Parts: sequence; structure tokens; C-alpha cells
Amino acid sequence: MSQYADLAARLEAALTRHSGRATKVRDLARLTGGATKGTYQFTAERDAGEEKLILQLTTVSERTDPSVDATPRLDGTSDAQLMIAAARAGVKVPEVRVILDQSDGMGSGYVTGFVAGQTLGAKLARDPAFAGIRETMARQAGEALAATHTIDASTLPFLARQDAAEQVRIYTRVADHLAPDLPLLAYALRWVGQQVPPPTELTVIHGDFRNGNIIATPERGIEAVIDWEIGQIGDPMQDLGWFCVKTWRFGGAQPAGGFGSRESLFEGYEKAGGRKVDPVRVRFWEAFGSVRWAVMCLRKGMLYATAEEPISIEQCTIGRRIEEGLYDFLNLIEGRD
Amino acid sequence: MPAATPSDDVLLEAAIEYLRTELLPTLEGYHSFQTRVTINALGMILRGLRQGAALDEAETARLAELLGQDGSRAELNAMLAARIRDGELALDDAALRQHIRRALEEALQVNNPKWLKT
Repeated sequence: MSQYADLAARLEAALTRHSGRATKVRDLARLTGGATKGTYQFTAERDAGEEKLILQLTTVSERTDPSVDATPRLDGTSDAQLMIAAARAGVKVPEVRVILDQSDGMGSGYVTGFVAGQTLGAKLARDPAFAGIRETMARQAGEALAATHTIDASTLPFLARQDAAEQVRIYTRVADHLAPDLPLLAYALRWVGQQVPPPTELTVIHGDFRNGNIIATPERGIEAVIDWEIGQIGDPMQDLGWFCVKTWRFGGAQPAGGFGSRESLFEGYEKAGGRKVDPVRVRFWEAFGSVRWAVMCLRKGMLYATAEEPISIEQCTIGRRIEEGLYDFLNLIEGRD
Repeated sequence: MPAATPSDDVLLEAAIEYLRTELLPTLEGYHSFQTRVTINALGMILRGLRQGAALDEAETARLAELLGQDGSRAELNAMLAARIRDGELALDDAALRQHIRRALEEALQVNNPKWLKT
């Protein structure tokens, strides 16, 4: 038995109950995970066949602190419902097979099909194997976002609604609370506060659509969009801008995800039925995205201090990345990017 | 005070060298990743030990000139942050812009010098 014997036993019971057919679980292994979330891979044996599946567990913290929690995180059930709605709208996502419920005794989470491919941002941006497909991937990213922005929000009442003004307000509050004496951050937040674009029509957005949250292969490019847990109702241009933030290029030479040109991204978006792209608005979201990332770094770097999570070298060093986002922001507003 | 030869920075450099050239190649998966992150963190401390004091001193002098006031680095930074937030300083003020850029570049020299070259 694996080191997750207890989890495997619960999972077997859950899969058997939900499918109504005896299911065996083997090779359960953790792929990623922190204190609040875990992704596991396993093989399910049922009848004569077997298949690889993914288990996603989300432990939603009991306590949310409005002074530091910027974006509401969906619980496993809502996350899965959003993915189902995304699939219906034509976005490639892992197929949701089971949404766990209370009687499964595993907390909040769901099981999806396994999508083969690469997820590491640096590989997608720089591995020679992807050289021939990168520009196509920028276009596919635009297509995926166009479909995402047609998701029917009426079936997803749990999604939070945040426009640009609200996001700037929230991140400013978080930053002022965590680091009131940091002039570099105060400067960036005041700038974005002055540049907030006028209100616009809001749609369902992914919220964290970037290189690192997609699965791709050198043959076919983007195979699936993952990590929907901060999906919300917002400015559709936000997703396009966040995708171009320098941090998410992973050293790739091109702006759109490190893959391709903004033109390819925008063209893919518009041709797939997306709205007319407003480059000025996208630019605002890209600038704001770098500042948002800086605030996220700050927050991660301080998690141990608030005793929310045990001290970890990975989280602590992310705290030291705050200047990366602010430097990118400054270069962007000075036209040096 | 214990003996300080070699100095802290040299000791740390030797430790990083061991982790990077001998231990890291023997690791894979989780521990390879964590060790790489650890080497990065120790590199930040090493660069801070070697350059931090001089950078802090230069920053304090620049802050004092920008604000027209004396004080500790922490006091002056708090004052500058407050003036920016309250709108007392225009965001396109050339001296302010220059200070922000210098401060970011200096911080990156310690935390992640590679970022300056990308």
C-alpha cells in the first residue's frame, strides 16, 4: 500500500459509491500540494478496464481575513461546477468525473480525467520541443479566453464580482495593511489607482489564466486550462493582461505567456468570437498584474509570520520576489518593456 | 565572540558551493527543487552580507535628499510612503521616479540580480 493508504481507501469507497460500480485505486501519488490544496494522480480499475485520473482536494480555511485575502477562493464543489460550465462553453478543461460530498469524508474536492502534457511554465516558454507550436499556443490562448468569457454566469451564483476599481481597492488595502512603509509599493498602487479604466461589461473570467495553469503538448499545443479556483465575474480584458505579465513569461522572449505576440493572442481571441480587444485596457491589466503579483509575493512571504502555515523555504523566498513585479511595472509604465 | 576567520560571507559561500556542486546533482524531484530554492535563499543572504550595508547607506542618503529631512532609513521610507499615498508627491516627479528605479535595482541586486538582465 502507498503512503496514502487511508486516502486511497476513502477514494475507492467514494468512486464506487458515485459510479455504482466496484472501483479499485492504485498508484495514488501526490503531484503538488501545500497546506490548503493537494493534487493527486492515481489509476482507477473498474470492470475490465483501468484509467488514470486526478484527485483535487481543497481545504478551505475556516477563517478568511478581509485585510489580507484579496480574491475569494472557490471550494472544490464550486471549482468543479465552474469547470463543467467552462467545458459546456467550449473551453478545453479536464473532464469532471466526481464531485466529492460530505459522505465521502475527504473534505471538498473532485476527480477529473487525466490530461497528458507539460505544465511547467519554463518548459512551455523555452524548451526547444515547443518552438514550432508557440505562436499557435498564443492564438489558442486567445481562443480559450474567448470561450471562457461566454460562460453562463447564471448557473454560477457563487462567483464574486470584482471590476477594476474594486480590485485596485482590495489590493491597496491588503498592501497598506501588510507593508505600509514600502514606498515602492505605495508608488505602484497610487499609479494604478489613478489609471483605473472606466466601467465596462463584466463576464465570467478565469482570474489566473497564465502560463503554468495550462497543459500543452508539442504536437497540439494547449490541451487543457486548469486551476479555476479564483474564477470570478470581472473585466474580460483582465485575463488577457494577466496572461502577458512578465513573471508568467518564464524567461520566454515573447509577451503572450512567453509564447507568442500580443497580436496572435488578440487575433485568436477576436476570431473565436471574443469581444473587440481594447489594448489600452489590456495594458492597464498587465501593469496592475505585476503589482498584484508583488502584493501576492508580499502576502506569501508573510504567511509564516501570521502562523497560517508552517515556515517553508519556498514561501519565504517568494516574499523576496516582490521587487521583480514592481520593477516590471516600472519598466512597463515607462515604456521600457 | 567566536573566531571570525574566514568571515561569515566566505563560510556561507563555501556552504552554497557544496550544496550546488556536490549535493544538488545527487537529488531529484521534491528535494532537488527544495534544495535549489534553498541555494537561492542563501545566495540572497550572501549578497546582502556583502553589499547590504553600503546599499542601505546610499539609500538613506538619497531618501534624506529627496525628502529634505534627516532620519533613519526606516523612518525616511515610512515618510516617503506616506507622502506618496497622500498625494503630496506627484507620480511623474523626476527625482521620485529616479529614486524608485534605483531602490528597485538595488533590491534586485541582492534578491535576484538575474531579473535586471531580462
